[in-house]
Amino acid sequence: MKNILSIALALAVLLGAGSLLAHHGGNLYDTTKAVVLNKARITKFEWGTPHNQIYFDVTSDKGEMQHWVASTEPAGVMLERGWTRRSLKDGDIVTVYIYAAKNGATVGNLQKIVMADGKELTTQGPLQGAEGAAR
Amino acid sequence: MRVRTCGAALLGAVTWSSILAAQAADPPRPPVDVYTLKNFLPIGPPAPLPVSKVPDFSGDWAAGAGGFGQSLSAADPGGRMRGKEPDIPYQPWALEYTMKQNPPTGPDAKFEVTTDPNIHTCEPLGLGRIFMYPGKMRFIQTAEAVYILHEVGPVYRVVWLNTKHPDDPDPQYWGHSIGWYENDDTLVVDTIGVNDRSWLDQLGHPKTEKFHFIERYKRLDGQTMTVDMTVDDPGAYTKPWPGKRNFAKSTTGFLRYQWVCSVRDNYEHYDKVGRAGNTGETTFKK
Repeated sequence: MKNILSIALALAVLLGAGSLLAHHGGNLYDTTKAVVLNKARITKFEWGTPHNQIYFDVTSDKGEMQHWVASTEPAGVMLERGWTRRSLKDGDIVTVYIYAAKNGATVGNLQKIVMADGKELTTQGPLQGAEGAAR
Repeated sequence: MRVRTCGAALLGAVTWSSILAAQAADPPRPPVDVYTLKNFLPIGPPAPLPVSKVPDFSGDWAAGAGGFGQSLSAADPGGRMRGKEPDIPYQPWALEYTMKQNPPTGPDAKFEVTTDPNIHTCEPLGLGRIFMYPGKMRFIQTAEAVYILHEVGPVYRVVWLNTKHPDDPDPQYWGHSIGWYENDDTLVVDTIGVNDRSWLDQLGHPKTEKFHFIERYKRLDGQTMTVDMTVDDPGAYTKPWPGKRNFAKSTTGFLRYQWVCSVRDNYEHYDKVGRAGNTGETTFKK
């Protein structure tokens, strides 16, 4: 199993690994670290294709209200990762982990959302049923 | 909501025309009439048709180890060597064509100025590129044909078994496919009659109407399947070249969400998410 995972990891590196490059802005976002946005308030959740969009508001350290939009893989892929169209609703207060735009714009590729009750919604992972597989 | 949607559609319509006009300007083309060319590889099954058991491809197959990647090139599935792949024998015009494209994803992505015909006009993904998307596929095997269903599109292909191609098939997006079984474990799919409007993959590798595509599906074990592909297109390349993808069996269900291409959704995604991270423009910039 360890070997399988090692091979999977190698293949993931070879392929550019996962959803990041399936997104269109892969080289426009800072993928070296996820920006953590606390107390984000969900304002809209668009579920569909070509990608899901999640809108949320965050108050910056300077007290300014920022309007963000994050993207995930399309709905069909996110279903495989445990999401549904009801995973988020307007008004939810969450913590957002996002690869944000390098140019400072409040957009990016979502990595993870932690709900108020601690439940995590991650955007990463193979299709279910494809254990040990790398994408 | 309706006003906003219609407004977006109108804006999109105005934008499409200018983009399409720009795209039509002087695209590299094959220097010869491709119909005068002879394919490198035999088309259709060997004669006599091999005797084989019918392998079982039932179930749903997801992009597995080996992933969906960016390029059809077996040597460069991640798309990091665009134009310099050791296994793609470009003709000069095909290399020029490829390098003039702006991929929507991958290491060379230029989403803000992409020339991707699937994004701009939802041209069908077509053969090769359909494997670049993380959707599942399902095989329906009958005595007459194998039906290959793809979640992305959604689209289905009909692979007619134990027969021949028509003499002069109309070029279409998915071509005309025939198939046969070999070695008790392999489904061979042979396709011709494909038009040249779709890219071979995310990077923009071209094909011509002389495109001949061979897929060899084989189950490696109960949980994995592989497809070895061969691109045989004397209109764009100087010899055949290989592609490969692996799939893992999935048990979570098929087509739970229809991955339909919508030009409006494509543009709205870019307008809402892409532009701020790219150029600040409100639509695609050509």
